[in-house]
Amino acid sequence: MKNFSIAKRQINDVSVLDVSGELDAHTASQLENSLKSLIDDQRFRIVVNCSRLDYIASAGLGVFMAYIEDVRGLGGDIKLTNMNDRVYNVFDLLGFPTLYDILDDEKEAVEGF
Amino acid sequence: MDFSSLSTEERHSRFELRTLLETSRLLIESQDPDFVLNNLLLITMGKLLVTKGMILIHKPGDEAYLVSKSKGRDWLTESEDLKADFEPEILERSIIRGKEFKDVFETIGIEPQSTIFNLKTSTHHLGFLCLGPKGTKAPLTDHEIEFIESLTIISSVAIANSRMFQELRHINRRLDRKVHDLNTLLELSKDFNMMVDRQEIARVFKFAMLGQMLIRTFFFALEIEGKRTIISISGITEEPSDDDLDTLFEFDDVCHTSEINTTDCSFLEQNKIELVIGLRFQNEKIGVVGVGPRATQEGYGDAEVNFLQSLGNLALLTIQKTLLLEEQLVKQRLEEELNLAKTIQEGLLPNPVPQISGFDISAINVSSRQVGGDYFDILGLDDGGHLMAIADVTGKGIPASLLMANLQSMLHALAPLEVTLENASGRINDIIYENTPPDKFITFFWGKISNDGKQFRYVNAGHNPPMLFRKGENSPKLLEDGGIILGAMPTMMPYSSASLSFQPGDLLVCFTDGVTEAMNPEQTEEYEEPRLIECINKHRDKSSKEIVDAVIRDINSFAEGIQYDDITMIVLKVN
Repeated sequence: MKNFSIAKRQINDVSVLDVSGELDAHTASQLENSLKSLIDDQRFRIVVNCSRLDYIASAGLGVFMAYIEDVRGLGGDIKLTNMNDRVYNVFDLLGFPTLYDILDDEKEAVEGF
Repeated sequence: MDFSSLSTEERHSRFELRTLLETSRLLIESQDPDFVLNNLLLITMGKLLVTKGMILIHKPGDEAYLVSKSKGRDWLTESEDLKADFEPEILERSIIRGKEFKDVFETIGIEPQSTIFNLKTSTHHLGFLCLGPKGTKAPLTDHEIEFIESLTIISSVAIANSRMFQELRHINRRLDRKVHDLNTLLELSKDFNMMVDRQEIARVFKFAMLGQMLIRTFFFALEIEGKRTIISISGITEEPSDDDLDTLFEFDDVCHTSEINTTDCSFLEQNKIELVIGLRFQNEKIGVVGVGPRATQEGYGDAEVNFLQSLGNLALLTIQKTLLLEEQLVKQRLEEELNLAKTIQEGLLPNPVPQISGFDISAINVSSRQVGGDYFDILGLDDGGHLMAIADVTGKGIPASLLMANLQSMLHALAPLEVTLENASGRINDIIYENTPPDKFITFFWGKISNDGKQFRYVNAGHNPPMLFRKGENSPKLLEDGGIILGAMPTMMPYSSASLSFQPGDLLVCFTDGVTEAMNPEQTEEYEEPRLIECINKHRDKSSKEIVDAVIRDINSFAEGIQYDDITMIVLKVN
């Protein structure tokens, strides 16, 4: 099995997902399930902490695209934080940062809601 | 010479030199053309104490200039376009001022007392720095002009550099993006290779598209076994109807919806689908992918269409592969089942063929497929007599073999009972007639050999008449008595039977039509009875086994080994 895992934390009314490992075609559905279950639980303030994310493929990024507008429409947002340069570069190449929040620090994101 | 004025001038010139030096360092180090231009304008306006200033940047390939900076009242405002095409002679000058250039000032829309400096490198004209008249209306001194010229040269080089730098950065970025696109394709082709679940393939394809194009609206429809269905979807409010799908499959392979009339497919408009791409497998369109607007507001250019097609084809091929794999599995399972059925069916035929004292008996059954519809049997009865049967079910393969198995079980159930052949035949006919479709029949012949082996009573229900070769006779007696073929209609007239006595040296040959209807390779001629009779007569004195082998050999050489139907034969010699 691929090296990827997601852990969930709660800071006040903000849900933080700690993703670690490689987010690719095989592991994208795990992230999808986590996001889905947060949305099902009416938790729309979501921070994804990427400090331990080593790699992201387009399919992984696609999961965010599939849900971010829905979450925003429900009054929340998905904010991404603490990315390493390699991961950020993929987001940047695809034009993601101009549209959605990518922050250096999780605290900043949590407080930004 | 006035010393104090000289020292002022010296101070002035030192100040200018320092300004030039600092500015040049600032500008050369800056990669931002906007910063360079702003500085150039502010420094020159400050130096000359003019209240109006403007920088025009030439738009390459376009006879126009962009107002990049403008500080003057009544002058063009920033980011306006100015349509203008100047003579090469003008573009080569470094300074434009004076009445002779009245037209140029008019074109740009500035006062004729203004001064224009050309922003250029040794090879390129970049634009103009326009400065309004001084408040004092005094003309620019040579010294001032020299200073500003120096500054424009430095600025022009800086702008050209930063442009080049940006161009390079842009190219680098495009290259990075291309590399990423290719990586995505490569990675997915590897990932897809390991997937056999169609839903998973479709889902990964969807997410890769969403991420790669930064979109949220997406659908992927596929035609599987003639049925068109959506297999993956995102951000769509209402799934397309069957009619919508049919319309989508009719589109060109690459269809920008802005270029077509979408009124007959409201699904497209409702979901803001911008691009529909058809995917082909062996030149047949079996997939359609649609995508909504990109979050970046960029449209779909050739590069995006290419990428979409490549990734789509990859997904399609992978899905086709899983279908083929499944088909193969089904085939394999069917094959295994057929092999099992073959074993079962072989068990329904007597093996070895039972021997009856006073007789030499041999039989053979060769199916043209794994399972067949031919049947023969020899079984002992309680009274010491024996039952011999041969049958041929219409059709071939599994349906025929099922019916054959049915007949076998009926025969074995009836054999121990005290029923006459005629009555038993009638009952079998009724059961088969009741239980099978009207186009299924069985030709059937059976007979009872008495316990002393001397008498033979038989019923023929539409079967190729067995041949009885009496000792010393070359033409056989045909055993035809009985009734109609089994399963065609209910038993209205009872079956009749006939009886005969066996003499030593008699030879009875029963066979199915696979023997007499074997075809020559040209398929113009059948083997037929005369050849069979001739072959039997030739080998008449040999054992029953040798006779069977000889007939099979003769058929094979006639048909050159090609067998269309099941072949079954029983040869019985009376000792």
